[in-house]
Order: sequence, then structure tokens, then C-alpha cells
Amino acid sequence: MNRDSRATVVFNRTGLILSRSGWTLGVWLLLLALLIWYANLIPRFGEFQITSISKNSLPLVYLALGQAVIVIAGGIDLSLGALLLLSNAIAARFMADQPLGAVVVIALLLIGLIACLNGMTGYVIRLSGVPDIVVTLATSYIWSGLALWILPSPGGGTAPEFRWLFTGSESGIGGTYVLPVLMMIIPATVVFLLSRRTRLGLSMYAVGSDSNIASLAGLGVTRAKVASYALGGALAALAGLATVAITGTGDPRFSVGANATLNSVAAVVLGGIALTGGTGLVLGVVAAGMILIMLNPILSAMGINPNNAQILQGVLIAIVMMIGGLAALIRERQT
Amino acid sequence: MNRPSPLLTITGVAKAYGSVVALEAVDMTVRHHEIHALLGANGAGKSTLVRILAGVHPADRGTLVVAGKTANFRTPVEAMRGGIATVFQDPALIRDLTIAQNLRLSQTNPDTFAQWLDEFDLGSLDRDRMVRNLPLDILRLVDLARALALNPKILLLDEITAALTADQAEKLFELLDRLKSDGCSVVLITHRLAEVMRICDTATILRDGRNVAELEVGGITQQELVHAMLGSPVDLAPDTPAGIATPTTADAEAVFAVEELASGETVRQVSFAVRRGEVLGLVALEGQGQERVFDILCGERRPSSGRILIDGSPCRFLSPADAVRQGVVLIPGDRLQALLPSLPVYQNLVVTLITRIRQWLGLPADERARAANAIDSLSIDTRAAAQVRRLSGGNQQKVAIGRWLVSGFRTLLCFDPTRGIDIQTKGEIYALLRKLAADGAAVLLYTSELAEIPLVCDRVLVMHNGLIVDEQVAARATEASLLTAAHGLV
Repeated sequence: MNRDSRATVVFNRTGLILSRSGWTLGVWLLLLALLIWYANLIPRFGEFQITSISKNSLPLVYLALGQAVIVIAGGIDLSLGALLLLSNAIAARFMADQPLGAVVVIALLLIGLIACLNGMTGYVIRLSGVPDIVVTLATSYIWSGLALWILPSPGGGTAPEFRWLFTGSESGIGGTYVLPVLMMIIPATVVFLLSRRTRLGLSMYAVGSDSNIASLAGLGVTRAKVASYALGGALAALAGLATVAITGTGDPRFSVGANATLNSVAAVVLGGIALTGGTGLVLGVVAAGMILIMLNPILSAMGINPNNAQILQGVLIAIVMMIGGLAALIRERQT
Repeated sequence: MNRPSPLLTITGVAKAYGSVVALEAVDMTVRHHEIHALLGANGAGKSTLVRILAGVHPADRGTLVVAGKTANFRTPVEAMRGGIATVFQDPALIRDLTIAQNLRLSQTNPDTFAQWLDEFDLGSLDRDRMVRNLPLDILRLVDLARALALNPKILLLDEITAALTADQAEKLFELLDRLKSDGCSVVLITHRLAEVMRICDTATILRDGRNVAELEVGGITQQELVHAMLGSPVDLAPDTPAGIATPTTADAEAVFAVEELASGETVRQVSFAVRRGEVLGLVALEGQGQERVFDILCGERRPSSGRILIDGSPCRFLSPADAVRQGVVLIPGDRLQALLPSLPVYQNLVVTLITRIRQWLGLPADERARAANAIDSLSIDTRAAAQVRRLSGGNQQKVAIGRWLVSGFRTLLCFDPTRGIDIQTKGEIYALLRKLAADGAAVLLYTSELAEIPLVCDRVLVMHNGLIVDEQVAARATEASLLTAAHGLV
């Protein structure tokens, strides 16, 4: 192969990657545009705002990453919000007034426990053949109930150092933006690499694309399914930990979990992952989660009634999805 | 004589899906250095046997012995480890991933894979292409190369030539011959008897879930193979021979016509007319634009230029439903594309009627009777009538045709309707098409089996590279004359 043709191959490959991740790129550009708009909208934009946006996005971003992995593998998990509640309740109850060492041990155990619980849910779905949406709807009530049982009313707490880890400040107010940004980048990168660079991750895409063909090709469908649910569970647990770090307490109300579930699905859709499974990159979901969180401060800075904010959020999702549909249509026309 | 033990021995294998018995009891022996044909009419149990050998479904009873070891495959991976590599009818490649990612998933050695692919001059295939963007023939070869890279003892090929072009099939046959002498045995499932006669050593024939014969291919004729498959001698030709119809339809009015149809680079210029009472054939090699022409004719796609005429007046199809309303209906090659797979036969037949609003509350008695008649007149095997997906391919195709019999039509577009269908059902479908034409319909039939043309059609068009390059009288068309034209050598 001579130099020129090698250059074309590299060029073609860059073009290919760009065209295939066009949606992901688009969502990040939209986030950037919103950030710039927001920065011009308010009188002072600085470290405080960046910290606040990034830390407030953490729970939704984690949850949406978990939902993304499950949706890519062909499922959908309505219990993720409830798992966030459960993790939040357990953490707030048992971390209160504990030294940092104990808090860290509890956090790690909690992630492992909830990953196992949700992995089992995935196994039950695969074994019983009952649709994902039905099984996880049922488990969502179980986990929410369990959360209320563990922490009957809002309360509890965690170690200040633990709050610092997620928010950049031991009191949860102000602080450096480095930590929340890092806490967003690290898990997102890990999940991204896991989903695109490992055999396990690719087999999740394969199972979500067509589980029959995946099994004919000799892949472990059950393993991929269980792994996707376990990973989703671990991320939901992380979202619960982030919530307790940000708020400083536990809140076991059912509506918190239900809202979180719906927002995670919205972020997945906006992030460019088809609900039919098998396509999309988890990186887009990170930006989509932050966009959904940023809408509230932007709309309130514009002086819009927060009750109307939801309408605008819905309209935005619909418009973005229609743009995606239009782009797909134009691409098809061209071929 | 010192006879080595066979490579694969199947004894008394049985399998039932619910109440439908797919295999009663099958015995089969594959020796070393052998290309073994597995033949049978549709519903005879070939696909089930393939699934059992490939580890997709376990057998209910019976034993498999591979190279002296008893095997009980529970998953495809176990079958692969046991030395059986399978190329399924539909490529086992994930559509949403690239070729390279698919190879990584199945842990295929990329270099070995590339060597095998190069046998078909595809060594330079870009591995970063998405599977869903590649044509079917390439995918089947990719799947084949991946199976060969496993270095199997037994290679199981299910209808592999169906999507291949003539020269690809030729290369495949040479390759199989070489594999045979290298010690890999091949089990070939096919409906094309000419292939069996040409490359196979032995043929096992299945009928109604049992093996009824094992024949040495060397000493028999195609007719004898057909005889063994059906259990009774059959006449391939339908009752109303084609060709006879030609003089009477020659001056009949054109029901359906297209003028200078074009669509991008794929379809450059296509004009023809189908007359009342006529079956017009269309043949082409893979990928000459025939799919696109049918997409346009059935309303799925709009042409970039050109006109469609019904009874001489121009018309536009806004959607497939619009085409159906104007009397133009399609029978696609992929039967499951036309059917609602998890609904019963009856509902599949009447679904086109339900789209009319006044019938939402229930169908009038005469239309229910028409649906029942269609089941009878098409002799659809209704043992598995509760779910169309559980019918055999031939019966599914009959349901797809039956639906239009129930709702009525004027122009019937058939895209390779007999692909993968057994010989007896094929005969029935030929007779049905002739009868529909005799009743006044216009039929356009694309087929990948050239031998069908003189049996069914009045005239035949040959398409090459987006153009109609030849027209022949079907009764005088031969496989040779059609193939020559299809290669653009007119």
C-alpha cells in the first residue's frame, strides 16, 4: 500500500467515525451552545455555576449511563430510579456520623449489592421471557418499598469528605469544579470503553441488535443481558451515592425515583440511543443528561415559570428527535 | 476393505415444537471426504435438523456421534467446539456492528478469515463497513469465511447458493471440492438439484420428518431425486402450459405499464407493459436494480423520473397501501416481510379487508367465507395455523398469496416467490399464477430460478445494470439464452 492510499484510508476512517457518531457530536454541540447562552444570560458566570451544573448533573448522568447500557443490550429498566432511592436510603441511614473509612466501605458494598440485585433482575427477565418493562416495573415498586422501610422519612447523612468527593466542597456549597467534573468523566469513560472496546460490551450491542443472530453467532445472550443489568444497577447505586453527597441527606419519596427513571429514559433517547437497542454511543447520553439538568436554571434565568419548564423540556426532546428523523431521511434519499 | 468409521452419525433424532412434530426419527451418516446433500420438500425437517446439528435447539431424542465422540450440543458454541461450523440461511452477523467487530465477538482469527475471503476475491473488503450496509451475497461469503476460519471437521451450508451470483457459486464449488480432499466434509442443504448432481457425492432425503433414502449421486438422475423427495412422480409443469397463452394475450390491452422509469444510478431506464391475462417474467443477476424496480412498483419508493400507467392512464403511488387501493399488490421473496408472523392464518388472510373502516366491527359472512375458501383452494397446511411463523416456508408463501385472493387485485407483482420453497409447492404456485392470469390478472414475476421462466411466463424481460436489455418469448427461452442476456451479452 502506498502513502497516498494509506492517507485516504485514514481520512475515510475519520470520516466514517464522524458520520457514525454524528448524533453524539450534535448533542455535545447543543450542550455547548446552551452553556454559552446561559453564560450570557446571567450577570456573572464563573466557577460557582460550573460546579453547580456539573454536580447537579451527576445523579442523572450516572442513571442515564446505566439506562443506556441496558437499552443498548435490548432491554429497558424502569427500576433504575427506585434503585437510586434504595442506594440513597441505605447510604444516608448507615453512613450518618461514620468515619470516612466506614463510609467508603459502605459505598463499595452498596455498589456491589445493587449491581447483584439488578443482575438478578436481568437473569429473571431472560429466564422467564417476561418483557423487561413488566419485570422492572414490578421490581421498581419492590425497591421503592424497601427504601421506605430502611429510611421511613427524609434524613440521615454522610461524611463531609464523601460530600467533597462528589461536590468539591465538604459542605456541599460552592467548592471546586474539578472534582464533580472528574467524577463525571471517569465513570463515563470507563462505561464507554467497556461498551465499545471489550468483547462483553460488543456482545451487549449484538444482543440488542438481534438476540437470535447473536446466539447463532455463538454469543452468550444471558451473560450479556445479566451484565448489562448489573452494570446499570451499579451506576444507579452510584447515582444514589451522588445524591446523598449533594443533598447531605436521604430522601425516600417514591416520586423522586419515578422522576429519575423517566429522566434517564429521556436522556437516553436524546443521547442518540435507539430504544430498539443495538445502536448509539453512551457518550451522547452524558451530554443529554447535562442538557436536561441545565434547562431548569436557564428557564428560570429567562424568567419563565418553572411549571412551564416541563412543557418546554418535552417540546425540546420532540424537536431534537424530529431533526434526527429528518437527517436519517435525507441520508436515505441520497443513497 | 478397510472402511474408516464415519465422521458424523445421527441415530433416531427426533424433535417436536409443542404439538408440531418436526422430526420423527432421522438417521444419517456423513463420511470423511464427502460432500453430502440433505434434501427434502419444505416442512420435511431439514431446517430443524440443521438447528440440532448446529446446537441451536437440543434434540428431544436420539444421538449424535461426531468423530467417534457422542455429542450433545446445547449451544452453538459447543457445536463449533465439537467441529461443526454452520452457515445459516440468514447470515449470523450483527447488523449494527462492523465486520471487524463481528469478528472480534466471535473470536475469529482475522488473518485466517482474510485468507478464506480472498478465495472469493474479497480480500480487500473494508472491515470497518457496517454489516447492514453490505449486500446479502457478500454477507453470506463473510459468514462462510468466518465458519471456515474455525477449521471445522464438518461444514454445514444451509441454502448458501440462494443469494450468490453464478460466478461466486462457481468459486464456492471449487472451494468445496478442495476442502473435501483436505479432509473436511460438507453437508449441503439446497433446492437446486443441478448443484447436487454436480458436486455432491451422497444425498440423504428427508420426508415428513424421517429419512427415506440415502443415494449415491453418481448413479442417479434428477428425476429420481425428485421422485425420492416427493414419494410419487410429479409433473413439474402446471396444467395450463405457458406459451400457449401468448397468441391470445398478444393483442390484449396493457393493464399495467411503466415508461422510462429511473431511480438514481440503480435503475437507469426501464419500460414495459403487462397485458391482461399475461405472466411477464423478469430475470437478472443479483443487484441489477430489480429490487429497486419492485420497490417503486409497489409504492414503497418514488422514482426519480418516469411514469406508471394503469389501464393507460398515469398514476402515482403515495404508499404501498395506496398501490393496493389501485389494485397493484406485491408478494415479496421474504415471506415474513409480508405476513404478521405471530397472528393466525385466518387473520393474516383477512388483514387487508380490516383496513377498510366499515369493517372494523367485524367482517361480513361472505368475506369470512372467502377467507375459508382461500385456505381450502390453496391447500394450506393448517396444523400450525395458530401462528403463521410456525408454518413452513411454502405454506407461508401460500398465505401471502391467499391474502390477495381474499381482497382482490388487478396486477400481481411477485418478487422471487418460490425462493427456498419445495418443488411440489413450487408447482402449485406456478399453477396458481397461470390461473390468476387466465382469470384476467396481469402478473409480473421476478425469479432467480431461470428454469421457472418457460414453465410459467408468456414473455420474459432480462435486466442488466439498470436497463432492460432483452425480451424473449418464454416458451423458447432456455437457461443458457437467459444467462447470456443477463450478463449483458446481447
